[in-house]
Order: sequence, then C-alpha cells, then structure tokens
Amino acid sequence: MSTNTQTAPTRKVRARGERSPLASAGLHLTLLVATLVAVFPPLWLVVTSFKPKTDAFDTSVIKNFTLGNYSHVVSDTQFLAWLGNSLVVVGITTVVGVFISATTGYAVSRFRFPGLRPLMWLLLITQMFPVAVLIVPLYNLLASLGMLNQPVGLVITYLTVAVPFCAWMMKGYFDGIPAEIDEAGRVDGLTPFGTFWRLIMPLAKPGLAVTAFYTFITGWGEVAYASAFMTGEENLTLAGGLQTFVNQYTADWGSLTAAAVLIAAPAAVVFGLVQRHLVSGLTAGATKS
Amino acid sequence: MRRGIAATALVAALGLTTAACGGGGDNQGGTDSSGELSGTVTFWDTSNEAEKATYQSLAEGFTKLHPKVKVKYVNVPFGEANAKFKNAAGGNSGAPDVMRTEVAWVADFASLGYLAPLDGTRAIENQGDWLPQAAASTKFDDKTYAVPQVIDTMALFYNKKMLKDAGAEVPTTLEALKDASAKVSKKWPGKSGLYLRGDDPYWFLSFLYGEGGDMVDAKGKKITIDDPSGVRAYKTIKDLVDSKAAITDASDGWNNMQNAFKSGKVAMMLNGPWAIADSRSGAEFKDPKNLGIAPVPAGSAGQGSPQGGWNLSVYAGSKNLDASYEFAKYMSSAKVQQTTTEKLSLLPTRLSVYTKPSVSGNEMVQFFKPAVDKAVERPWIPQGNALFEPIRLQMANVLGGKTTPEKAAQETGDAYRKMLKDYK
Amino acid sequence: MAVETSQSVAKAAGARSARGRGHRTDNTPGSPGPGRLRRALSTHWYAWSMVAPVVAVIGVIIGYPLVRGVYLSLTDANEANVERTIGINHIPATYEFVGLENYKAVLTDNVFWDRLGWTVVWTVSCVALSFTLGLVLATMLNRKIKGRTFYRMALILPWAVPAFVSVFTWRLLFNERSGLFNKLLAGGGIDAISWLNDPTWAKVSVIAVNVWLGVPFMLVAMLGGLQSIPGELYEAAEMDGATAWQRFRHITLPGLRPVSGTVILLSSIWTFNMFPVIFLLTRGGPGDATEILVTYAYKLSFVVSPRDFAGSAAWGVLILALLSLFAVAYRRALRKQGDMW
Repeated sequence: MSTNTQTAPTRKVRARGERSPLASAGLHLTLLVATLVAVFPPLWLVVTSFKPKTDAFDTSVIKNFTLGNYSHVVSDTQFLAWLGNSLVVVGITTVVGVFISATTGYAVSRFRFPGLRPLMWLLLITQMFPVAVLIVPLYNLLASLGMLNQPVGLVITYLTVAVPFCAWMMKGYFDGIPAEIDEAGRVDGLTPFGTFWRLIMPLAKPGLAVTAFYTFITGWGEVAYASAFMTGEENLTLAGGLQTFVNQYTADWGSLTAAAVLIAAPAAVVFGLVQRHLVSGLTAGATKS
Repeated sequence: MRRGIAATALVAALGLTTAACGGGGDNQGGTDSSGELSGTVTFWDTSNEAEKATYQSLAEGFTKLHPKVKVKYVNVPFGEANAKFKNAAGGNSGAPDVMRTEVAWVADFASLGYLAPLDGTRAIENQGDWLPQAAASTKFDDKTYAVPQVIDTMALFYNKKMLKDAGAEVPTTLEALKDASAKVSKKWPGKSGLYLRGDDPYWFLSFLYGEGGDMVDAKGKKITIDDPSGVRAYKTIKDLVDSKAAITDASDGWNNMQNAFKSGKVAMMLNGPWAIADSRSGAEFKDPKNLGIAPVPAGSAGQGSPQGGWNLSVYAGSKNLDASYEFAKYMSSAKVQQTTTEKLSLLPTRLSVYTKPSVSGNEMVQFFKPAVDKAVERPWIPQGNALFEPIRLQMANVLGGKTTPEKAAQETGDAYRKMLKDYK
Repeated sequence: MAVETSQSVAKAAGARSARGRGHRTDNTPGSPGPGRLRRALSTHWYAWSMVAPVVAVIGVIIGYPLVRGVYLSLTDANEANVERTIGINHIPATYEFVGLENYKAVLTDNVFWDRLGWTVVWTVSCVALSFTLGLVLATMLNRKIKGRTFYRMALILPWAVPAFVSVFTWRLLFNERSGLFNKLLAGGGIDAISWLNDPTWAKVSVIAVNVWLGVPFMLVAMLGGLQSIPGELYEAAEMDGATAWQRFRHITLPGLRPVSGTVILLSSIWTFNMFPVIFLLTRGGPGDATEILVTYAYKLSFVVSPRDFAGSAAWGVLILALLSLFAVAYRRALRKQGDMW
C-alpha cells in the first residue's frame, strides 16, 4: 500500500509536460493493441458461452443468444461437484498456505538462526522440482497413506508448489516493514509471536493479499497433479472435470466455455480485490535491496 | 482488505462444509441372508456423446431387477478412460466396480492384476452364446477377465448424395477411392473426398491390413510392422494426403472428422458402428438413408479392417463383487444387447441376439455382421494397447513430412522391440 | 534479494535476535554438545517453530519423493512390477536395482537430446519475449497517462484466468478447420494455417500462448521495479539534458536489474517445467514436435504402457540436475556483476 503511493507524484512532474500529442497517441495505440490481445481470448470465451452448442465455431458475435449452456452445465453435469471440490482444495490451500508462508517469511526476515541459509536455498530449489520427478513417488506415497483421491492429498501437494515462492515474497514484504515496530512491541511486553500476530500481520495485509492471490491461482489452475491424484470421478476438481467436455472424442465447446466462464469469475473477483496490491506486494522484496 | 479476508474465510468455511458433506459414501454391500444383492455399483461407461444417454438408462435399469443395489453411472471419455482406470486401480482408490473396457485393454489390465477373474462367477452366463471372436478378447492366461458387450469393425462411411452428384462410384479399392475423391474436389473446390484420421493409429490398421501386414505376429513372436507391408501402409496414408484425396489433422481428429462428414465437407470417412448415431445427427444425414456404408476399400493385398469392441470387466478390488458380477452379466445380457442394437445400431456379441427380428432387420447390422466375421483379430497380449503409441508418433511424422515411410516403419519396429523383449 | 537490509533489521530488532546471530557462530559443526543444543533450542525455538510447518511440508512431500524418485531412477520399476494393493490382494514389488542403466539409456537416446533442444528453445523464446513485452508495457504504464488503471487491469487479466481455461480458449481459436483465426484469414483471402497440426506452426502457437500467459507476471514485476527507482534520478538526468533513450539505458535498466535478475531466473525455471500449456494445447503433438522434457517424462509415467516409472524418474532427475546447474551458473553470473539476492 505504502509503496504504491510513494512513486506516483514524482513521475507526474516529468511525464506530463514533455510528451507530444503524437507520442501520446502512439502510446495509447500500443497499449490498446496490447489490451486487445490480452482481453480478446477471455472475451471470446464469454461470447462463445452464449452461443448454442452447434454454433461454437461461428464467427458472429451474437446470433442465437442462449443461456442453455449455463443451465446445461449447472444442472446436467457434475460441474457443481467439481467446483465444490476445487473450492475445498484451493480454499484450504490458500488459508494454510498464506499462514505458513507468513510465519516462515517473518522468521526468515527477522531472525538469524541456525539453518537460515539452507532454508533460503531450499525455498529456491524447491521451485525447480519438475512435476515429473515428484509425481510418481508422491502418487505412491499418497496411495500408501490413503490420501489418494482425497482433497487433503491435493492440498498438501499444492502447498509445496505455492509456499516456497510465497514465503519468499512474504520475506520481501516483511523486510520493508521497519524493525522499530517489532522493537516497540517487545518493549510493550509482547512475545515474538505476539509481535508478529498483532503488529506485523495487520501491516502486511497487502503482502498477504498477494500471497493469497498467488496461492489461489496456483491451485485453481493446476492440472498435472489433479489429473493424476483425483482418481475417482466424484473427487475431480475443475481442471480434471473440464477435460471431460473437450477431449479426443468429445468437443462440447458450449459446456466448456460456459463452465470456464463460471470458473474464471471467482478468480477474477479475487483478482479484482488484490490487483491494487499486486505491484507493490510481488516485488517488495526484490526492490528493497 | 477486510472484505478480502472475509471472502477467504467464507471460501474456507464453504470448503469445510462441503468436505463434511462429501465424506466417503458407504460402498459396503453384498448379499443378505435371503441372497438379495445390495450396496452400490459404480460403473464407468466409455460410450461416446451420442451413445451415453442410452447406456445410462440401461445401467440404471439394473435397479429394477435388484432394487437394493444403487448404480452409480459415470461417463468417462474414451480417450482418458485407460489412464484414469490405471491411476485409480494402481493406487487402490477411486476405481469403479465395473468398467466398459475396450477389447485391447483387457489383457493389459488383467496382466497388472487389476481385474477380477470371472470364471465360475455369476458374471458369466451362457458362454456358448458368445461370438467366438468376441470371446477371444476376454481371455488372458486362460482365464476370463471380461464379458463381451459389443463387437465392431470398420467400414467406409459415405455420403450417398455427394458421391452421386459428383458422379463417383462407391470405391472398393484405394485407387478407386482416389478417383472418387478427385471427382468430389472437382465438383466442389474446397471439399475433399476422404477424411483420414492422422492422429489415431486405430485408423491406420485398415491400411496396414490392406497391404497384408500386421503389427506383430503374436504366435510366431515376431515383429512385422517394419516388413515391406508396413512401409507400404505408411506410403498409402502419405499418398492419400499428398495427392489431396484426403484431408487430415494431427490433433482433434475425431471431432474434425465428424464435423466435416456431418456437414458435407468431405464425402467419405473410415469409421465404425460407434459413429452411426453421431453421424446421423448431422445436417447431411437428416434423411438417415443418405448415410452409405461399404467395406473398407482394398489395398494392394486385399480388403482388411480390425476387429474391435467393448467388454465389461470387474475391478479386482471392488468392495461389492457379487453385485458387480451380476451387473456385468446384466449389461452383457441378450436383452441389453438387443436394446443397444435397436437404439444405437451397435453389434451384439451374442449369437442368440442376431436372431431377433429387430436386430437382423437392422441395415447396419446386416452390413457389419459379415464385415465383423471377416475382420482381422488383433493380438490379445498385454502390450496390445501400447502398440499404438509408436504408430501414432510415426503417422504424424510421415504426414508432416518429417520422415520417410521406410524410416517410420523401421522406427515403429524398433519401438516394439523395446517393448516386446522376447520378440524377434 | 534483501540480505543486507534484513541483516540490519535483525541487528536493530533487539537483543534476542542479535544473540541468536552470535550464537550461530559458535555453534559450528563438530561441537554440538547437548547443553549447546538446549541453549540453541531456547534461543531459537520461536524462529524454528515459525519455519517448522514449511520445513515439515517440504520435507515430507518433496524430500521423501525426491529421495524415492532418485532411487526409482536406479531401478527397472514399472507399473507391472511395483508393489500394489488391489482390494485384498497384495502384489509385492519385484523390480531390481539396475544402477545407472536408465541414465545410460536416456543419454544415448536421440529422443532426450531432441527434446532438450526444443525445451531450451521454448524456454529462451518464452522468457525473452515475455520479459521484453512486459518491460515495454511496464515502461508505458509507468507514465502518467489516461486510463492507466484500466490498461493495467486489462493487461494483467490473462493472469487472473486459470491457465487451463485460457489454453482451451486458444484451442478454440486455433482450430484449423473452423477456428476463428483461420476464418479471419480466409476472410482476408489467406490460406488456412495449420496452427496446431504443422510442427513449426505448433511450436509458434505454444510459444505464443505461453507468452500471452506469462506477460502479466513480468509486467507486474517490472512495474514494481520501476516504481522503486527514485524519481530524483530521472529529474537529475533530465536537467543534464539526457535523452529519453539515455535515461532508459542508464537509469531504468540498471535500476531494474535486481528485480529482473530474480524474475528471469524464476520464470526460466517455471517455463522449463511448464506442463499445462503443452499438455492441454497439443499433448506434445503433432508427433512429438512440441513435447518438452517434463511432458515427455509425464508421458512415460502416466501414458505409455506399461508405465515406465524408472525411466520417468531418470528424466526427472536429469531435468532437476539441468535446472540446478543453470541456477548456480546464473547466480554466479549475477554475483559477478555485483548483484546479490
């Protein structure tokens, strides 16, 4: 939040007076083209979702407007079950993920303790792990623990994907919060946990929001683990479920697009809530050095 | 950000309640003292979009006979079913009790210990009534691991009106096919004669058999794909596409083929009975009589097409084996087979069903039954299904001009040799 | 990244952490007496307990599978000989230790080198393109211009849509027979392009989609980086009469280096291992033209029959080794230039 506001005024002085109308037009034109490219595919998705199933490839924007795809998806398919499964998995992942990356980020930011360096390395290296090395052993591990085909198995898996990066981000964020605050807390007789929980966490909300967003997006869009670990039909998450609409032998683009819009909407809501903080939160750590 | 936190909390709360509700269903079942079946049978059906409604109502009809058994019908897309079943069965969680299993999968699953042997169980009813070709695909190591439900082979599907308007005969050889295609393209520039599946090796088999070849000789334990016949088969598909007699895709082939055929963009395709229901839903076939079926055009060595079909198998780890056996028996019963023929024109695997007037009078059955009798049986070995992947890769390479037919045949053979260590 | 800052923070943070730091120095390996351990525990217990959940999760879910994966890569394990339980039947494992056989087989096979070559091309072009585009767009957005918030929201949108949803949308657009792109081309009198069916076009297509997906992250990171460059630098440069290009070259680029260093490393790693885009867009096809190392390894363990667990693990270990080498080399290069993170 604070980082967001600090820089805007300085730039105002400069940019305004200097740009010619032509340059301005060029700038807007480039940005408009980029915006079009960025927005078009999701937009086309929305458009297609309102077309009858048989017109999915029709180029007209809206000819035979219908809500049929939506009602079909919601009432005749397992979509709501998949959505529920995804919400369970991703919701728990987000809450737990944000909490443990915050504690880790804080510890790494504030304390020098034995194991700090290896931990930092661990957080980095973990991000390099290809799905391919882990997936089979993890599948066997979950199977032997009886966690295959269970939301909890997927939650733990997603935590390992999201938490290292999030802890890294949170460390950067905490680095930007002055240490005097910790000190003040300690003078008031708060324990280290108390300081963290009562003083630092409220200040770190933008960072937490970004972390939550990142964790959410990671889980919401994951395919490989979800397809391999959710073996029973009743436990499919969205990523696996949607593949039943469009695959080698079926191409129900109407249902796919309608479902996709329904999925993208919550993601877009979360996105709308945190996008203000994305810029400051994501790179706080990297820019403080 | 209070709103944000509240939203997260809501999501979490929602999640927990759903988790609590969704907690494992009771799958325990069996027979009670009076011998009545109970419990749940989860059935994975692999029928396609056009067929699945029929299968679902048939499967749920089981409850009428056994009111205490709950049937959980799940349609699993054919393209993913094999992998999904292996994921579930290998991890011992989430696997269905009964699955509609492609004929080439039976030996594969059985060799891994995933299927329950059915000999001596109630699943098998009147085994003498089974078509011998269909029965062959249910065996592995002299035990029966499945009951047959549908048998099929491939044929040339053609648009009668289009061929007639273009002045073309129904082709019986590949040479004639190229002529007919040329006439179609001449009459309507932009349209093509044939849609060739370039992304599915199953469609390659007809060309391979037409050249007198095969993938492997299972009896002689010999790899035959890289014989001259295999090379000729790769040449054939390349020639059909290069000469513009056929169009093809390296992905999404099934959907593109059905769309092209149903909308009259191509006049012919190779396909099986499973495509009848879907094809008839297209604009070109509002009059079902417009859909013509003929034997697969002959290659240089004659006419040939693969025998395929669907069986029902029972998962070895099923918690409700008795009801599952009974369900498999029901789904392969003469009555159910008669319904799938009447509604979907699929071919029964029981001799007795062919005597029913509604079956013997079905024009698709009249055509396909003799074709099935002549169809080439595939080797029913555990690796049977795995033989396809190397062909898929090389088909794309040949059609994309990345490699020559000679090289493709050789590389397919090399891949087989890695898989089948005791073959020559 | 912020090592220096955090050290000073730690120093200022008071006696406890300062003592902790001192403690680390005398707790050198070789002399971990029980008393020391207890003292270390009492000093650091809160730091350790704060990182414990993450360490535990990583240890169980990554540590164990990793060790196990490395072990599997030294055996001939496949789905037919691993231990498995089907209902009441238990089938014991029968695979054997084969030493480095799998690695020998992989490294002498052209498939690996072909896939590696394409994976490198894929990673480099994706990262380079999305980095450049992200930087250019961030520079533009960092100016005071009308509708900045709108542009920013719109440009980050691809990030908010789940990747697999976007990929399906692109498949809808790319479809050769009836997709929108080819219809537009046909409208302009241009021949249809085999977007996903021609090996070269398929490569272009998957890169395009991945760049489309990757730009928002770059853009956001670069914006953050730009905002951290003190405005006074620009003002001073302007007074000295520096041109826009000179300002960009001498202030913006060096100012962005810390951010871009991290971002390029992370995004290279992610792209190298990018599974969903290729898996859902082309399944590695046509043929194996767009198959990268990870998708191939996944195919070995979940698609081919019998599933080759050992081979897949060997591929995975090689991928990990390659990435670790890259990360070490990259860090070293950055450090030489005087950047530390």
